[in-house]
Amino acid sequence: MSRALLLRAPALRAPALRAGRRTVVLAAAVSAGVLLIVGLAAGWASGGHSNVTYVDGSDSAVLYAAGHRPLAPDFSGTTLTGSRLSFSSYRGNVVVLNFWGSWCVPCREEASTLASVAALYRSSGVAFLGVDVRDTTASALAFTRSFGISYPSVTDPSSAITLDFTSVVPIAGTPTTLVIDRTGHIAGAVFGSATYPELTAILAKVTGKAAAEAVSR
Amino acid sequence: MTDVRAPETDPFDSAGTERDGRRPEGPVSPAAGTLGLTDWLKWAWRQLTSMRIALVLLFLLALGSVPGSMLPQQGSDPAGVAQYYTSHPALAPLLNHLGLFDVFGAPWFAAIYLLLFASLVGCVVPRTFRLAGSARTLPPRAPRNLARLPVSAEYAAALAPAGAVEVAARVLSGHGFRLRRPAEPDDAGTGSWLSAEKGYLREAGNLVFHLALLGVLVSVALGGLFGYKADRLLVQGTSFADTQSALDEFYPGRLVTAADLPPFTITLNSFDASYISSGPQRGQPSSFDAQVSYTASPGGPVRTDRIEVNRPLSVDGAKVYLIGHGYAPEFKVTDARGQVVYDGAQPFISGTTGNFLSEGVLKVSGAEPEQLGFSGVFVPTAVDIDGTLESVFPAADNPVVSLIAYAGNLGMNTGPSQSVYQMNTAGMKRLTPDPQLLLVGQSLKLPDGQGTITFTGYRQWVSLTITHDPGQLPALVCGMAALGGLLLSFLVRRRRVFVRARASQQGSTVQVGGLTRTDASGAFSEEFASLAAELRSAHQRAAQDQGAPPHVQAAPIRQEGE
Amino acid sequence: MAVNLALGHASNDFLIAALVIYSLAVVAFAGDFAFGRPRRAGAAGGVQARQRAAALATIGASGVATAAPAGGQDAGVQDAIDQDAGQPEGAAGAGDGGRADSMPEPAVPAFRAIRLAGPWVRAGVALSSAGVTAHLVAVILRGFAVHRAPWGNMYEFVTALTCVAAMFFLFVMIRYRAWALGVFVVGAVVVALGLAETLIYTAAGNLVPALQSYWLSIHVTAMTLATGIFFVAAVLGAVYLIVDSYDRRVAAGRAEPGHGIVRRLPTTEQLDRLTYRTIVFGFPVWTFGVIAGAIWADQAWGRYWGWDPVETWAFITWVLYAAFLHARATAGWRGRRAHYIQLLGFASLMFNILVVQVFVTGLHSYAGVG
Repeated sequence: MSRALLLRAPALRAPALRAGRRTVVLAAAVSAGVLLIVGLAAGWASGGHSNVTYVDGSDSAVLYAAGHRPLAPDFSGTTLTGSRLSFSSYRGNVVVLNFWGSWCVPCREEASTLASVAALYRSSGVAFLGVDVRDTTASALAFTRSFGISYPSVTDPSSAITLDFTSVVPIAGTPTTLVIDRTGHIAGAVFGSATYPELTAILAKVTGKAAAEAVSR
Repeated sequence: MTDVRAPETDPFDSAGTERDGRRPEGPVSPAAGTLGLTDWLKWAWRQLTSMRIALVLLFLLALGSVPGSMLPQQGSDPAGVAQYYTSHPALAPLLNHLGLFDVFGAPWFAAIYLLLFASLVGCVVPRTFRLAGSARTLPPRAPRNLARLPVSAEYAAALAPAGAVEVAARVLSGHGFRLRRPAEPDDAGTGSWLSAEKGYLREAGNLVFHLALLGVLVSVALGGLFGYKADRLLVQGTSFADTQSALDEFYPGRLVTAADLPPFTITLNSFDASYISSGPQRGQPSSFDAQVSYTASPGGPVRTDRIEVNRPLSVDGAKVYLIGHGYAPEFKVTDARGQVVYDGAQPFISGTTGNFLSEGVLKVSGAEPEQLGFSGVFVPTAVDIDGTLESVFPAADNPVVSLIAYAGNLGMNTGPSQSVYQMNTAGMKRLTPDPQLLLVGQSLKLPDGQGTITFTGYRQWVSLTITHDPGQLPALVCGMAALGGLLLSFLVRRRRVFVRARASQQGSTVQVGGLTRTDASGAFSEEFASLAAELRSAHQRAAQDQGAPPHVQAAPIRQEGE
Repeated sequence: MAVNLALGHASNDFLIAALVIYSLAVVAFAGDFAFGRPRRAGAAGGVQARQRAAALATIGASGVATAAPAGGQDAGVQDAIDQDAGQPEGAAGAGDGGRADSMPEPAVPAFRAIRLAGPWVRAGVALSSAGVTAHLVAVILRGFAVHRAPWGNMYEFVTALTCVAAMFFLFVMIRYRAWALGVFVVGAVVVALGLAETLIYTAAGNLVPALQSYWLSIHVTAMTLATGIFFVAAVLGAVYLIVDSYDRRVAAGRAEPGHGIVRRLPTTEQLDRLTYRTIVFGFPVWTFGVIAGAIWADQAWGRYWGWDPVETWAFITWVLYAAFLHARATAGWRGRRAHYIQLLGFASLMFNILVVQVFVTGLHSYAGVG
């Protein structure tokens, strides 16, 4: 390939009018195309909903504003001990629904927190319920024994319950904790391992009772 | 002498071969002074859309693809990339910096093909205008002496020149030629003439081909934005619902969220793999067959189907592929306190040996007082060869599990998520100095009353890939359009046929001549020969209809060329 | 289904026979070079030399803007490549411009031309035909032995593609009277087949499940056909480079014209045009093969394009042949450079088949070697 290609100066000539008009059309089309592509590729930002606020100091715990809380789907299943349980029987209570598995390291991290918060809010009418995903019964029972989890868990080996909930809140992994208010709507969620401050902050909002009050009750 | 290439109309091959950054015509007005920015931009654009630069870009595209095939790529072989880092610790970061572990997503590769497509668009759009324009311009005037054309013929016809040309016009337009006739009779009184042209489809095919390539690029982009891919390993007898937390891997396109996953549930009822049991191909798989039942959405009707290699399951816009399979041995573990702390199947992963010798770990995090861990090897058809246990056949004809037991802290209580297929024994002590072999049903009693592990059986697992690619069908359509355009541009020739009729004693002497573009093959000569014959017989018929004497001195058709 | 070993062995026997017959054909063609009747290949078409004004050469049927052929005989030779000089046409014949008294000679039909070319050419063409027949029988028998299209592993692929190359070349050779090229193409086929037999032979067997699809027939068939055609184009390109080097040396005064093998070979324009036609034939087939492969990949692996090494090299090959087609339309890139590109494309194709499929791990590693 000749070097002349790179060194040849542009030919100086009066451009033909037809070529000029075509160039303009082409430039306009290319710009429009580029703008379109850039717009598409940039995507539309997710979030920015004013109905979802993050819990102070957390980037994985959220609260849903009253009136904009998704309805929790109903489900029923078998608990780890073999009895039948239906979620509708919890209607009227505040429910903390925790998706976990014995194989999951962050679930082990949050387990004792869940156990203690459960004990804390038990007398305030808050029920804790677990959904044990992709797990086997023996391992799950061993897990609950290890961490002193006394509240029941429903098995979800095929993630069917998770699928139902994912259609209303974006459950991306395990663990996920949802706080459901007395009317059966999801008021808050923690995506990932739940910490004591996060959980209590959400529960305070939903029950109207701070953790300290709950104890004194 | 009339030049066959009539300069006042579009030269025959202006649409193609001479575009290499220079216009063949145009006034050149050298001006003193500087070149403005617009001049430089125009120059740059003209260079970009020249054939030469297109050629260079094509080379770069080919060259740039080479490292993408030689080095492990992040998208398809992340383990290989990690391996490369360990084996080439100095070189790997440099290659990474250059984007060589993700060549096809790298900005420089994108720059090459984007420039190539810009060059393509910049070349194709003006040519489309030109094609549209030339479809409106008429063919050039017929040259005076048609005998100088590559193929020509001459014969006598018992018709007046004007009438002969008229008949020729009917014949040629019947063949789909576009015609041009003189506005007034020739001044030299040499009779009438006619120009005919055909074959614009060639350029149209060329343009369709190049635009279709652009369409393929857009389709690929569509897939990258709106498509996704997900993986899931499923053990026989279990199910999974298609939700993000249930997937082992999820690779969404840029504009895809987990909510776009179709809500199906699949149960693996059974999986059968059959292998060739004798002959030189013993051990090679002969068929895989996964029997599944599925619902397209929760609560929907349950359907059953088979997933095989080359035969994915289509569910609600997604396709589920059977990619691999393996063994999941089943264990029952009792801890020191006598509690059953594990009872299930643990998938083991086979290596590359081909007989499904599989490795895996079992992490019993619920064992008390100390957590237990086992690292094991599952041998489907175990044979002792010189003291080592080997698998000689991929089917589970004689399954044996070899285990090493550990006790201590699995490190699972804090920290990042761990793979279920890997175990960190840093905080554990080894309980069994040698690997312990177990047949189905046998148990291993751990020392110091730490517990027992029983090898209770085995199941098979399959790995499924779920994909959705909205750009797939458009890409196929564009691919076929490209192929069609390519064939058109190769098979169709632009050709011109001229007819001149001069007055003569019998009526007129008709000359027919033909011209075709580059790379003529015998096909045009054949076509011309048959056209000439057809014209001649049409003239004879017309002469007879007019009542001319039945026997005109019929000179044989003399044809020049073939 | 069980493999029919008897047919497998028979197929192999026919292949060995083909190899031997091809070798004899190469000897015959070489003998024509050494002892055959002196002529410039292509003129044996018997087309009457035409009288053309020099100006006509530029608008002529070839349209390739290289040096105009020197003299009438070459013009006739050009026609032999360009036009269907072989088939006798009804009233057609060469003649000159409009003069009433010259009568054209009828074109010489193919078999007569072969006879006229001499005993060595006769033997060469006969042996090539016999070899192609045996080769084809071998491929077909292999297909019957394994109850599927016989291109499921590399050995089968190479035998099939060389069969395609040989058949294609036989057609080209007879149509365009290009027996001078027989030595090169049939010789290349012999080498390829020999290597296949000795290095990568695989006994007839069944396919792994991933290959049990009717798309195997479609995709690999297309690739086999295209590779066979590109094989011929590559050999022609190599011959082009040989003749072109010789012509340059003659032009520079460092060699005498009319010496050696080259005087028996076609001109560079004829070779260039023949190569171009061959690649024009093969390129859509290759494109179709890539598309069919993408469709099959989507069915088997869940994505129609994943930059698997074999896929990537098929893409590189496609781009290089596209570059060849572009080069022929670009000033300064026609001729020698274009053929370098074409040979580079074929090299990448061979690299893909022989190295990438075997040694580079990826989804495509079904070569079945070793």
